[in-house]
Amino acid sequence: MRRTNLLAAALIAPLLLLILGSFLVPVGLTLFRAVADREVVATLPETSAILAGWDGEGLPPEAAFAALAREAGAALQARRIGDLAQRLNFERTGLRTALLRVARAADRLAAPHAQSLPALDARWGERETWLLLQRAGGPTTALYLLRAMDATRTPQGEVRALPVEERLYRTLFLRTLGISLLVTALCVLLAYPVAAAIAGLRPPWSAVALTLVLIPFWSSVLVRSTAWFVLLQREGPVNGALQALGMLEAPVQMLGTRFAVVLALVHVLLPFAILPMHSVMKGLDGTFLRAAASLGANGPQRFLRVWLPLSLPGVLAGGAMVFLLSVGMYTAPALVGGDRDQMVAWFIANFMNRDVNWGMAAALSAYLLAMTGAMVGLVRVLTGGVAQAGLRG
Amino acid sequence: MTATLVRFDGVSKSYDGRTRVVAELDLEIRRGEFLTLLGPSGSGKTTTLMMLAGFEDPTAGSITLEGARIDTVPPHRRNIGVVFQNYALFPHLSVAENLAFPLSIRRVPRAEIGRRVAAALSMVRLPGLGGRRPQQLSGGQQQRVALARALIFNPPLVLLDEPLGALDKQLREELQAEIRRIHAELGVTMVYVTHDQSEALTLSDRIAVFDQGRIQQLGTAQAVYETPANPFVAGFIGENNRLPATVLDATRLRLAEGSMLATLPHGLQAGAAALVSIRPERVLLEAAEAAPNAAAARVEEVVYLGDHCRLRMAWAGRTDFFAKLPRQQAGQVPQAGTTLRIAIPEAAIIVFPA
Amino acid sequence: MRAALLLFTALVLGFLLAPMAAVVLLSFSPTELMVLPPRGLSLRWYEAFLTEGRWVLATRNSFVVAFATTALATLLGTAAAIGLQLGRFRGKAVLLTLLTLPMVTPYIVTAAAMFFAYSLVGLSGSLAGLVLGHTVVAVPFVVVAVLATLQGFDATLLRAAASLGAAPLPALWRVVVPNIWPGIAAGAIFAFATSLDEFVITLFLAGPGQFTLPRQMYASVREFLSPTILAAATLLFLSSLVFLLGSELLRLRAARRAAR
Repeated sequence: MRRTNLLAAALIAPLLLLILGSFLVPVGLTLFRAVADREVVATLPETSAILAGWDGEGLPPEAAFAALAREAGAALQARRIGDLAQRLNFERTGLRTALLRVARAADRLAAPHAQSLPALDARWGERETWLLLQRAGGPTTALYLLRAMDATRTPQGEVRALPVEERLYRTLFLRTLGISLLVTALCVLLAYPVAAAIAGLRPPWSAVALTLVLIPFWSSVLVRSTAWFVLLQREGPVNGALQALGMLEAPVQMLGTRFAVVLALVHVLLPFAILPMHSVMKGLDGTFLRAAASLGANGPQRFLRVWLPLSLPGVLAGGAMVFLLSVGMYTAPALVGGDRDQMVAWFIANFMNRDVNWGMAAALSAYLLAMTGAMVGLVRVLTGGVAQAGLRG
Repeated sequence: MTATLVRFDGVSKSYDGRTRVVAELDLEIRRGEFLTLLGPSGSGKTTTLMMLAGFEDPTAGSITLEGARIDTVPPHRRNIGVVFQNYALFPHLSVAENLAFPLSIRRVPRAEIGRRVAAALSMVRLPGLGGRRPQQLSGGQQQRVALARALIFNPPLVLLDEPLGALDKQLREELQAEIRRIHAELGVTMVYVTHDQSEALTLSDRIAVFDQGRIQQLGTAQAVYETPANPFVAGFIGENNRLPATVLDATRLRLAEGSMLATLPHGLQAGAAALVSIRPERVLLEAAEAAPNAAAARVEEVVYLGDHCRLRMAWAGRTDFFAKLPRQQAGQVPQAGTTLRIAIPEAAIIVFPA
Repeated sequence: MRAALLLFTALVLGFLLAPMAAVVLLSFSPTELMVLPPRGLSLRWYEAFLTEGRWVLATRNSFVVAFATTALATLLGTAAAIGLQLGRFRGKAVLLTLLTLPMVTPYIVTAAAMFFAYSLVGLSGSLAGLVLGHTVVAVPFVVVAVLATLQGFDATLLRAAASLGAAPLPALWRVVVPNIWPGIAAGAIFAFATSLDEFVITLFLAGPGQFTLPRQMYASVREFLSPTILAAATLLFLSSLVFLLGSELLRLRAARRAAR
């Protein structure tokens, strides 16, 4: 017994280590990135230490101004000022310029620095700038998590919603949720009758129909999204067909619309809804219906009171699967959607690749994980087990 | 070469640290014997076998084989043959490959493997079936292969865990005879677990009767049947009538309802409470007036069973006293409601302290 | 009623399959014009695919990564599944959840996390990093597939093997693996398919020169929509048909075994 467990542990350990090292720890580090605040301490250690002792009244002592000038200058020389500049500028636009001005002029700035710095850039004469720098001393910050919910913290430390014109992410999350729920609803509505019909087919035909569902299931999301990208071109086959049928007079712009995104997502995710529903329905023995009939239930009653409740676990599994995949989907919207149709994944990708803003990428990832986690939790509560029916082995 | 092959010394097994499935077991298994571990489910007999095979670790105590401790040796180095309840033949291998498995593990040369596989197949009377898959064999044939596989590497000890449990009665009897024959031919030591008392009586040199993790009695079939050590053994092996009684003197008891019962000397103190066990087949029916413990008893119910009749009788203040009437010659079966003269020989009365 | 249901089903199945059918047809287009029905048939885009350096390179990269991923995922996933089935300890459900977590984690989050963490240790942009990333998302399928076949494996066979003298590892190799190979093969097929089709993680993890087929397709689509992309899509699609066929054959075989 003990020996068996040792063997089992030895067999599991390599994979566990692999998942731990190349998945769980990276995800954990990323989540930590959402709240980490190290740029100021790392680049301006002395300034940071002096500011830590500042009571926040008026302006900080001369030593803080001098340390800032010296450390900023050194960081620019060593070409490691970029992260700090981005960090400060992200919290308050314009601070990049203010910081870089000081860094470039560091050697030439005369004492007292408390006067020469504000002369160089007025922002160094404002208490708010120094309060911000003081608060950015780490080790953690709520900045990114707040910003990802369109909120910010005033220099005085109050949490406040951003002005309406600067808001971005609440709409983004609502859009992601909205598109995902719409796609989930459409998939469930389309999949339910199809799964029921396939479950009711006779042997050779049921296998044929199931294979027709498995073909798109097995082909990649990218290939199928690319297909829609081609089909939905202005001169593409869909426009062509609609014109030929007389339903359109002139070609319509379809790519880059919300319609294209929903269409592609439904197409990509529909098999994930059909398969778990079908596997549940296939197990529903006809004898249940016969028993219900023998007990006096008519057709609609048999459906509503026997078939529907028994098939619900499949609906739940399929719906949850579609929602999970949709809410984190990058490929399909990136290919067929416009800028105003993009979901959370696209923004994460942009923060990583274009803006190189790790804090925001991590904060959005954290919220996305929370959304999927909530969905998995909900399904667990509703079924008492993880919905893995849709994931064929 | 000593007479003892295996020795259990104070062996206990507990899964949860509190209840002991096997409790302080001391047992010696003799070289060449056929020992049966008999008991109800949960009595610890299978756990004992599994500890010997190495699939369970004792919580306390030691097990030795040929004088060497084996309870810390992993099962694959114990060199003990095991026949499993569900045969456990490898489905991906043919019958011959199943038999060759332990030999190829032991790096026996290929030519010798072929020879020994053929010999093993003929020993269990399945020559020519080596190419079949286990799934293509009947249950009885599969069990023969399993037996041959456990014997082919010449282990000094073979363990059989309820091997005939899944077979029907006729096949079971046929295989019992086969196992007895092979045991006699090879002289290998066999330890056999079963909950079927008639199987134990049929096969064994000695029987260890298990209950609640302890050996209740260890002895020959005749000993455990005729001189059970306690009420459990008396009840588990064969049928018996149980009557509470009080000791009057060295050879007499008074039953609860008042009648006297003469016995052989039983060694209990006068005035002590006792439990009397009487086997139904030892009750004499239509006995002479002078027979020992003679009395009148009314027949309450008769069950006709072909070779004998089972009578439920009213006697000694009870209506559940059973007796067996062998059908030695054809004739009238007693009717319910009639009264018979019964007698109970002193030697048929087993007295336990209550 | 039933006829309406069947018609509806046929329409939905048509919707599912039509885009792929269209892409396959268009990939044989003789011109760069993508119109249906095609005006003639030509293999020129396949020729382009097979001769243009970037497509050839991407194909080679894809197969290298997919084979390495499959080997690693199958080996580790099978071992872990057997361990999970054999072990008798608490917390197995938690362990299984941990090992299959990459299945329910949004790919973009996985990709971001790997990109960040792998660049800390110098793995991003390397073949090893890419294989590791693919393995993480492919291995849960192997674990699930092997665990499913292990449900039908009789654990007494391992005891029998031990009683016959086989040490634990030889017993796994000679008794367990031959009995569960359909599950292992199904898991391997799924791992290969997952790696070959993987796009999001590759997009972030791959180095500047590491173009796989999906990454090359995506890049080309953004650049200029040439029918060569459709030839690539068709080939990827055909490969997934092959994987589907393989997995269905294994499933049928397993079903026949179970019925016997």
